Amino acid sequence: MPEYVYGVVAADVRLPKTEGIGGQPIRSVVGEDGVAAVVSDLSADEELRLGRDEVLTHSRVLGEVQGSGAVLPMQLGIVMDSDDEVRERLLEPHAPELVEQLEQFRGKFEANVRVVYEEDALMREVIASDPQIAELRQAIQGRDPDGTYYERIQLGELVAGAVERIREADEANLMSALCQVSLEQNVSPPAHERVALNAAFLLEQARAKEFDDVLEAIAEGQSGRLRFRYTGPLPPHSFVELAGAGS
Amino acid sequence: MSSMGTRGPGGGYVQRSSASGLVDVLNVLLDKGLVVDVFLRVSLVGIELLTVDARIVIASVDTYLRFAEAVNRLDLGQSSDEGLPQLVEDMTSGGAESKTKGMLEGAKESLFGSSDDDDGDSEESSSGGSSSSGGTRTRSRSGSRSSSSRGR
Repeated sequence: MPEYVYGVVAADVRLPKTEGIGGQPIRSVVGEDGVAAVVSDLSADEELRLGRDEVLTHSRVLGEVQGSGAVLPMQLGIVMDSDDEVRERLLEPHAPELVEQLEQFRGKFEANVRVVYEEDALMREVIASDPQIAELRQAIQGRDPDGTYYERIQLGELVAGAVERIREADEANLMSALCQVSLEQNVSPPAHERVALNAAFLLEQARAKEFDDVLEAIAEGQSGRLRFRYTGPLPPHSFVELAGAGS
Repeated sequence: MSSMGTRGPGGGYVQRSSASGLVDVLNVLLDKGLVVDVFLRVSLVGIELLTVDARIVIASVDTYLRFAEAVNRLDLGQSSDEGLPQLVEDMTSGGAESKTKGMLEGAKESLFGSSDDDDGDSEESSSGGSSSSGGTRTRSRSGSRSSSSRGR
């Protein structure tokens, strides 16, 4: 029977009673060396489609398991044919790495920080940063949009450049402050134009408050200019890794 | 986006969530985590495509035009450090009152934001630690809207 694989835990972790994808209970597949995979059964004759519910379930199950002990999360959508396959392809060939990482991430969690610009404040800075932008902007004001198509593209290109300069400076400042209160960091490329920073941080549970305090102080100082969103605690999605795994 | 300030419900300036909404979840775990063999992966229905779209918005003519629009629609009258004549502003930014939404809405946000309360406006909390029964989540809205009929 095919099964969905959520992650890997130490074999002695007691899994919470909870439903996985399709309402099936989660269970563990225990391998050697003290590691176990967290799985739930899938219907054999129906192909799994990963939609909104499945994605949310994947995340929720990992969150609940994390409450019981360190978990190494799998990527979304890993399906294997049987318990034997889970052992042969995941647990046995990678046992040393899995054991090592379970040890490494014990007592730690990931937090994601997404920082977004307030548009008006950003545009004010952009205009102030480059006299050419202010001039071009003034030249276009009030004129027919069709007649100023190329000027608007030129203006937009200048604005895009200014935004990127501002963003890089903010990213550097934010990261230098947050690196001091986190163990590891992983910065994602910005997903859209107003993103100042989207980064994952590995935090030690015992020192999580230090990170919170620093972040809160920065957010207070940047209020009205930057908006901060913190997501966590999360399993270490951004920091787990299997050597030699195709990606 | 009804709130003016950036102060969260907990009194802090940082909005907090525990990844129970789709936008947060995708932001946090898409393309991340352990993978042993790419052929074992089931593809995502729709979601991956949408997110890929959202990632290629940078540096296109379309983006430039949006940036130009964003910088043009700004009402500099509110900030005193710019020397633009107020008259010009008044003439050009006619419908200034209606500009509640920014131009630079991320594709990702707008694609998912309309679906339900996944977007940043709502504060979501998951009953992660205390798992009494599977699948239960509790949510509370931070910005209580007066238009909502099922408010408290």
